[in-house]
Amino acid sequence: MPAQANWRFMTTETEYAIKVENLTKRYGNLLAVDDISFTVRKGEVFALLGPNGAGKTTTVEIVETIRTPTSGKVTLLGMDVMKKKHDIVHRIGVLPQGFSSFDRITVKETLQYYARLYSSRNTDIDGLIELVNLEDKAKEQYKNLSGGLQQRLGIAIALVNDPEVVFLDEPTTGLDPRARREVWEVLQGLKKKGKTVFLTTHYMEEAELLADIVAIISKGKIIAMDSPGKLIENNVKHLVLTLQSVDEKAMEVIRKMGFEPVLDDRQEIKTRVVHTDDVQKILSAITDAGVLYHGLDVRKPNLEEVFLKLTGEALHGGLVGERGTK
Amino acid sequence: MKLRVVFANLYVKLLSVYREKTTMFFTLAFPIILILVFGTIFMSQDNVNFHLSVQDLDQTKSSKDAITALEVNGKFKITRVDPAANATQHIRDTKTNLVLVIPKGMEKSLLRRKFFNDYQSSITVTYIYDPSSSSVPTKIDILNGVLAGVNQEMSGIPPFIKAVKKSILSKQYRFIEYFVPGIIAMAVMTLSLFGTVNSNTELRQKGIIRKLSTTPITHTEWVLSDILYQFTIALVSTSLMLLVSYAVFQVNLHINAWLLAFILLNVFAFVGIGMILSRFTKEAQSAAAAANAISFPMMFLSGSFFPIELMPGFLQTIAKMLPLYYVNEGLRAAMVFEDNMDSLRNAAIIGVFAAVVFILGVTATKWEDGQ
Repeated sequence: MPAQANWRFMTTETEYAIKVENLTKRYGNLLAVDDISFTVRKGEVFALLGPNGAGKTTTVEIVETIRTPTSGKVTLLGMDVMKKKHDIVHRIGVLPQGFSSFDRITVKETLQYYARLYSSRNTDIDGLIELVNLEDKAKEQYKNLSGGLQQRLGIAIALVNDPEVVFLDEPTTGLDPRARREVWEVLQGLKKKGKTVFLTTHYMEEAELLADIVAIISKGKIIAMDSPGKLIENNVKHLVLTLQSVDEKAMEVIRKMGFEPVLDDRQEIKTRVVHTDDVQKILSAITDAGVLYHGLDVRKPNLEEVFLKLTGEALHGGLVGERGTK
Repeated sequence: MKLRVVFANLYVKLLSVYREKTTMFFTLAFPIILILVFGTIFMSQDNVNFHLSVQDLDQTKSSKDAITALEVNGKFKITRVDPAANATQHIRDTKTNLVLVIPKGMEKSLLRRKFFNDYQSSITVTYIYDPSSSSVPTKIDILNGVLAGVNQEMSGIPPFIKAVKKSILSKQYRFIEYFVPGIIAMAVMTLSLFGTVNSNTELRQKGIIRKLSTTPITHTEWVLSDILYQFTIALVSTSLMLLVSYAVFQVNLHINAWLLAFILLNVFAFVGIGMILSRFTKEAQSAAAAANAISFPMMFLSGSFFPIELMPGFLQTIAKMLPLYYVNEGLRAAMVFEDNMDSLRNAAIIGVFAAVVFILGVTATKWEDGQ
């Protein structure tokens, strides 16, 4: 992926699917979205990554025409979202946050219903069912589907009008890891089809796996935007050493060596190191101190680390309580 | 506006309710149960049989004839109390509420009056009763009527004032014929009000409204499909109520275009109120409570169950401010009296009301900003 900062300026207006300029949304005294600007190119998978309450849903709902901004301008496929809602809805597909559908209507009937709303007679309902792997559940009523299957139906609904831009607001929140992976497979299929996808998530794995461009949002502001690789490369230069099943004594030893170990909620000690030599030094020191460990892992940093570095806050779980990097 | 979209929506709503059979059953069964219960109670009032205990202390042919006459009259089902028994104790023991005691010497006094023209000769019957029972005054009234008739006849002078009953209607109408239109009005109100409130709050809470607001369906199409849906359910419910009323009580009601018009206006009015309520209540529970607070007083005050003349003056004034009152009046004018002018007058009033609340309802429920 080329450095986004450069080619974004070279992109012509018609290549943008979405252009957000100085967008602000205020609910009473609460500033939910604070003067943000960004663009999404056609055919790109764009992820808005941030913790709950950061302003992701408010932003995406303004772009989707559900909410009205306090100020700023949003252009979608060249149209002002405030003025051209009627034209825009025909060209977008939306999976809203916490998607739900009519309890007693089957998968196939639901898709037929939404297809009728778009007055499209040629929708390939069976093809959509196949795309989201719901062939066995086509005659199942919505209320009998598991959370993951319901989300997959939601994605299929978002595609009934063969939209140019697909919005997926937290598509895997609340799903178990397996169901989440199944949804990701469907989303990767969308990416291959060349759809422009606007994704919001608080799962960094999701953004890292699916997105071409990730915008990190915190407290209503976009604090970084680039490809996942570039974001990591430009912001974090260390490795993370994880030691499993170790006691507090190990923390002491590592701390004395000048590192900042953190004990997470799974009783794992995580320590940031800059060089691979440091890993060897730490392991020797705790072995010499008579501390046993039952497993270790050395990883390159991920988007979570980037988020942590940029905001000083954990995205979710992970390295709680750490402040910045050395 | 696209009719295809309206009908797609209507189809999904009808399919959902068809598959929710238990809810559907109870929704449709409730007004029918009301008709059956109240119909049975009030229909049998014309030939109601009161239980009456009689203690004959005279034990003569005359006293026995008098008791038989009470029985033949058809109003009473007589239980004979042992002359040796204590009547007060009898009431306590047997849970009866009234014992008519015929005194000893009845036949003797009667003969003296009849054959010797002894006008001083009379008897006193005693009513021993339980004042806590509500049917006692009615029974005593009937007995007094019977006694007055006997006294009049024995006097041998024809009565001066006679009375005949003359109905303003060509046919004899019964209570049930007034009751069924009231229940139709009430049922359609409940269906439309609760249907709208429940579906709006549920769909909003589930986020379906938010999803729909990103599709081409317009607010007008959505509201129109809702009206058609409520109208369909109201028609099904009304048809069932009428079928049961014809089959069980052989009601004599007229089915005409006014019936359809009043159902439609009733639907518009209460879907409108439902939309306004669901705009101001965020939770499904509080929405249902608000709908109850509106529908319950309306049900009892607007003359669905009993004529408003039975209520104190100020309540009658309130009743005339309630939309359901005009639906009740209109439906009775159309179905019982076949009075087109009165139907039109009531239709105009409810029509104006429906138009106002419906427009308010439509403007109150916006889809943007999560509504």
